[in-house]
Amino acid sequence: MSGSELLAMSLLTLRVGLAATLASAPLAIGFGYLLARRPFRGKALLQAVIALPMVLPPVAVGLGLLLLVARNGPLGGLLERVGLPIAFTPWAAILAAAVVGFPLFVRACEQAFVETSPRFEAVARTLGLGPLARFVRVSLPLARRGVFYGAVLAFTRGLGEFGATAVVAGILPGRTETLALGIWSRVQAGDDRAALVLCAASFVLALGSMLVAEGWLRRSRGPGA
Amino acid sequence: MSATQLRLAGRVGALALDVDAAFDERVAVIVGPSGSGKSTLLAAILGLEPRVRGAVCIAGAWLEDSARGLRVAPEARGLGWVPQAPTLFPHLDVAGNVRFGLRRGGAPGEHLLARATEVLELGPLLGRRVETLSGGEAQRVALARALASSPRALLLDEPLASLDLPLRARALAHLLRVRDELGLPMLWVTHDPDEAMCAGELAVVLDRGRVVASGAPREVLWSRAVAPLADVLGVENVLEARVADGGAASAHASTRSGLALVLPQALPPGTTLRLGLRADEILLAADPPGRISARNVFEATVEGVDVEASVARVRCLVSGERLVAKLTLDAVQSLGLGPGSRVHVVVKAQALRRLA
Repeated sequence: MSGSELLAMSLLTLRVGLAATLASAPLAIGFGYLLARRPFRGKALLQAVIALPMVLPPVAVGLGLLLLVARNGPLGGLLERVGLPIAFTPWAAILAAAVVGFPLFVRACEQAFVETSPRFEAVARTLGLGPLARFVRVSLPLARRGVFYGAVLAFTRGLGEFGATAVVAGILPGRTETLALGIWSRVQAGDDRAALVLCAASFVLALGSMLVAEGWLRRSRGPGA
Repeated sequence: MSATQLRLAGRVGALALDVDAAFDERVAVIVGPSGSGKSTLLAAILGLEPRVRGAVCIAGAWLEDSARGLRVAPEARGLGWVPQAPTLFPHLDVAGNVRFGLRRGGAPGEHLLARATEVLELGPLLGRRVETLSGGEAQRVALARALASSPRALLLDEPLASLDLPLRARALAHLLRVRDELGLPMLWVTHDPDEAMCAGELAVVLDRGRVVASGAPREVLWSRAVAPLADVLGVENVLEARVADGGAASAHASTRSGLALVLPQALPPGTTLRLGLRADEILLAADPPGRISARNVFEATVEGVDVEASVARVRCLVSGERLVAKLTLDAVQSLGLGPGSRVHVVVKAQALRRLA
């Protein structure tokens, strides 16, 4: 396999992981805050539902997503009409990565908000800040380390995502074939050498991401952590 | 109609708060033992305690009135809160923290902040990170942050409680400067009667969620209604005096009513002082004590004796000042003390602590 093929596959993997993380961030942070701060009926149920993609077999998650976004599915039909088909496109890979990383992301955010005292928000409130300003200027900055950690977990989970992606995005070389999918297809084809090269690339990406993340967490350690 | 009116009731855990107070004084102190509901009352005034409802009018502005369905949101009440723990935002430096309040304060806030920066000597602190501040410095920053929001009133929750004893006099002096120079209405919560007597024109005494007395601090903290609380509060004596002349190792001062005091350290003439004197550090003698090391011996008349359990609080009139001495019942009996008794009040110079 060629170097440019390897590079393209690595870049696709990174792009999918990054896009999935960024796209799920607002929802993950929102749900994390909701779960940490607001008491409401059915909270345990919501927590269980959010955890589902983590505990279900990834293939089952993928199948569920496929039913949703397939051309004749409820969401897929709608998107098809506006000219944005999802199934078996890179969008599907991003969707799969976002969904399986979501429970980890939400959990880390929830924990981060639980660990920041609501007194800071109360003080900000008496200083005249409305809900959005309090969240943006106080709650989120104070929880930033935990939120970032959640993002890293979701991102690295996305890098390695296989089962759900294979079902909903397919293994289309140059289009949806991320490193994880590539390893599988090389093994299937008996090309063990190429599979090992892709394994090494996965290893480098994963290790690099964790190192960058740890470095940031180390630098930002201290107040408000 | 009074400028400040508080009628608030509600149950928070074991505390049943039911407060009814109305007054015109600009600076009011809310005094009470811990657990009496002081902080809960502040939270309710701020609108942060949904379990307590009623009517709140601060400095002429109605912020809540359940009878009329009025309940202004906490972010719109315009109250400057200085919580017991300063609660500075750790992700901002000192300047970031004090400027935080400007979002609402606008130009009047800028003006107040400039005054506060000077009065509270914040200049050298502005570039510091908040975790490098001492307790007293953090308190001043929290105070400036509240002032920058240009509040209609300041709400201070035990501003001195988290400070070490040596820092308190300085912190109190800063608070009194804010009180005197910025002219804002203040609600000042404390469990410390010394502080209450220094701080406010009015004391509202809270016990188990209810107002048990209110009035001028000097009167009310010695009143019968407060007597049962005297021990938990540790009600003591506060004297305001001015240094007349200073020696090498002591100073002479006198109170406005002319009581002459000997103080244990040299001080420049003209210095005005607030002195604290614990009730259990005062000796009473039936006869003139003769040669004695104590530097302050005054003739006095007993105004009254309040007996609680095994201790008696003897209220004495000394050249127009009132001093309360805490004695055993045995001592009261053996000296035959009662209203009108003539006694000699004996106070070591060392026992006169400088509060501000």
